[in-house]
Amino acid sequence: MATVENPLSVGNVAFRRAPLLALGIVALLAGLWSGLFRVGWNIPALQPTLPISHGPLMICGFLGTLISLERAVALGRRWAFMGPVLTGTGGILLITGIGTWQGPLLITLGSLVLLAVFGAVLRIQSQAFVWVMAAGALAWMVGNVIWLLGAPVFRIVLWWMGFLVLTIAGERLELSRMLMHAPAVQRLFTGIAALLGAGLLVELFVPDAGFRLSGVALMALAIWLARYDIARHTIRTKELTRYIAACLLAGYFWLFTGGLLAALLGFSAGGPLYDAILHAVLVGFVFSMIFGHAPIIFPSVLGTPVFYRKFFYVHMVLLHLSLLLRIAGDLAGNVSVRRAGAMLNAVAILLFLATTIYSIARARWSTGDD
Amino acid sequence: MPPTAEIASRLDIADSLQGVIDPEIGLDIVTLGLIYDIHVEGQVIEVYMTMTTPACPMSNYIKQEVGRALSRIEGVRRIIVELVWDPAWSPAMMDPDVRRRRFPSYR
Repeated sequence: MATVENPLSVGNVAFRRAPLLALGIVALLAGLWSGLFRVGWNIPALQPTLPISHGPLMICGFLGTLISLERAVALGRRWAFMGPVLTGTGGILLITGIGTWQGPLLITLGSLVLLAVFGAVLRIQSQAFVWVMAAGALAWMVGNVIWLLGAPVFRIVLWWMGFLVLTIAGERLELSRMLMHAPAVQRLFTGIAALLGAGLLVELFVPDAGFRLSGVALMALAIWLARYDIARHTIRTKELTRYIAACLLAGYFWLFTGGLLAALLGFSAGGPLYDAILHAVLVGFVFSMIFGHAPIIFPSVLGTPVFYRKFFYVHMVLLHLSLLLRIAGDLAGNVSVRRAGAMLNAVAILLFLATTIYSIARARWSTGDD
Repeated sequence: MPPTAEIASRLDIADSLQGVIDPEIGLDIVTLGLIYDIHVEGQVIEVYMTMTTPACPMSNYIKQEVGRALSRIEGVRRIIVELVWDPAWSPAMMDPDVRRRRFPSYR
């Protein structure tokens, strides 16, 4: 049992976590820059190893730090904050190019802390959805260990994708309890999650089969989520609740698309088809979740009020339309279209970031929490 | 106000807590069944509540909003929020009428 005296003071304490969130945001900005360099925009590389750090910065430096931070806040134990400290610092090492194995080591240790967080949660609540999220953290750690041992990103990116997909899917399974589904529906979910786990394991030995199997699991998961998640109901509400549901449902479309592409195209070590599979899932699904939940997660981490503006639909729609453009360019082999889509993806994310920071500042100012 | 007098009834406090909304679901924390008990002693309010999961990323926000809602009650001097994990929250704790309205095709 945790006691909170004077819960209003939570906000002032929480705002001290802003530097941890800032570490993640710096990784995001550097990740976007290196991504644009990689798709062929004529911008300086800034430092020689930055372009190859695009994936690690986006997945581990930004998303990993954000997820570790929100879980640490939820659990409320001091040691849990070592997770985002380690992954955030690892991200800075990747950006600056200091060392070779040091950044991956810190990120691997950070993922170990996240796994320990889920161990602590499981001791309180041992339910299927927590096991799914814990499996996600395990997938991240396994991917990180293989990366630390020197494997290229394209060999472990499926494990990182598994981390993000299982984390989000576990959260959705948790909320879908409100609908009191029949046990068979939950068993179906567990079966799909297990299939994804099998796909990851197969990928270690036969990458092509692993990608295809994981692709089938992602398609099945997208159908399950579209059918059984609460978003189908909350889309009929209004304001923020409706906006979150819209982000979720659009994300499920991309999860299905990414799964379909992975199942059809299999493994490749780079190039436009690899770009299409990865970005359908990581931008279309994962970033759509981030867009939808940022108005509640950032305030929860920082102790500021929740915010909502109709303007949020602008960056949300821009993200999805620009991703359509990018993937059309990928599949058609049209470099210019792909490059334009990637730039507009980055613009949508920057617009989201600017709107979020502005909304937090406004909300904090209006409640006089400064 | 004499220090032994209660500043609000448990019902008044529950009414105030109905203003704390889970933005993901669009329902308040009383309807969701997250409030287990409320104690009022003089100018101190103690709320025993839970979250749907200890991994809930919104727990910090909800605790803060509980504090914000209760601090509007006149005369309150101290607010204590106790997070309880036993018994674990289950969907059966939700208000069944509201649940049926929000999720009409389900039980």
